Amino acid sequence: MQANPAEAAPVIGRSAPAPSDTRGKHWISAEVKRLEQESRFLEEELQQLEKTEKLSAGLQEFLLKVESVPDPLLPETTGPANTSWDRWFEGPQDTQGCRCLIL
Amino acid sequence: MSFSELKDRHVAATAMVNTLRDRLNQKRQQLLDTDVAGYAKSQGRTAVNFSSTDLVCCRTLQGHTGKVYSLDWTPEKNRIVSASQDGRLIIWNALTSQKTHAIKLPCAWVMTCSFAPNGYSVACGGLDSECSIFNLNSQVDRDGNLPVSRVLTGHKGYVSSCEFVRDQDTRLITGSGDQTCVLWDVTTGQRISVFGGEFPSGHTSDVLSISINSSNSNMFVSGSCDATARLWDTRIASRAIRTYHGHHGDVNTVKFFPDGQRFGTGSDDGTCRLFDMRTGHQLQVYSQQQANNDQDVPIVTSIAFSISGRLLFAGYSNGDCYVWDTLLAEVRIIQLVH
Repeated sequence: MQANPAEAAPVIGRSAPAPSDTRGKHWISAEVKRLEQESRFLEEELQQLEKTEKLSAGLQEFLLKVESVPDPLLPETTGPANTSWDRWFEGPQDTQGCRCLIL
Repeated sequence: MSFSELKDRHVAATAMVNTLRDRLNQKRQQLLDTDVAGYAKSQGRTAVNFSSTDLVCCRTLQGHTGKVYSLDWTPEKNRIVSASQDGRLIIWNALTSQKTHAIKLPCAWVMTCSFAPNGYSVACGGLDSECSIFNLNSQVDRDGNLPVSRVLTGHKGYVSSCEFVRDQDTRLITGSGDQTCVLWDVTTGQRISVFGGEFPSGHTSDVLSISINSSNSNMFVSGSCDATARLWDTRIASRAIRTYHGHHGDVNTVKFFPDGQRFGTGSDDGTCRLFDMRTGHQLQVYSQQQANNDQDVPIVTSIAFSISGRLLFAGYSNGDCYVWDTLLAEVRIIQLVH
């Protein structure tokens, strides 16, 4: 006896879920866990930020620290001079000269 | 839980994350009461003034026949390794300009290189998704090539950056197009830790650059196509310590400030930025003024600080190298490609 085409068609969404629904559920479940974990991290960061000082608070120390380190590339710098810097200015130099544009 | 209940939870969780991010941004904006340049000017500081004899080229290292993508100094600052897409690493005596090694690479598409602290090894990586280690004292093979002494395999994308951990010759950190950073044991070739990837708070796009803190080698920062920089503790792989927002494009380059408490970044958005590692504050933006809105702003491809941090060197995609006064946020020299 020939099967009734209508009865032969699979029942969707009732007993066994279609494969694409199963993959979607696992993916969304993992995404939800990731988002909830990220929320917890963001809340922790908000709490840390409540106790964080303004930007200006650390700048005086920052300026003084930078200015206290001898720097051979600066036209004027604090001492002491490091004699090992001199080796870079002896020996072969670029004979074509430098084409740097100084502002 | 049903599928539709899960979907509702997903919507709610997404909304919560977005709300928290907005609150975080607003709170951080309230704390940004000035920037480094504003404060420095208020304290009477003026920009560094260079004369024509103050910053001159003293060495030109010629030998590569293709673009040079990366270089690294030895800790003694007397030798350099450079990597080029001519398919070679070259080791230079920086004082004499002489080449001591020219290493033919198994894969020409190299993007990064690093000198080991002991000066005997170099590492490189690129589009082959591997990091190759060469021992400079090895015997060359029949073709006169230095053999690879170790290959670090495991990344699922290109290796964009690599750096040896400064006080440990056996450890190396890589950044990759597979969105992760990895800490390797070079002697065994094993991955010790993976930063990002499956875990939350990792980068959500390619990692383009890493920089290890010279004051505390347990800490390193990474820059990514997801427009953020992230701080990692090598002892805690499960999450980033902090994420730094601000850039509007790929973060191509990150470099720790000499004091180890701040770091600089350079981006596709054409700006460099200085961040405070501990507080997360964006301390300063270094931005070229656009003469014409129709012109594309050159992107920042690489940065470096002078040893005091007063000077920020920035290389751009149009071939310019600018020297910024870090404290006054002013360009002091525009150095053209030679």
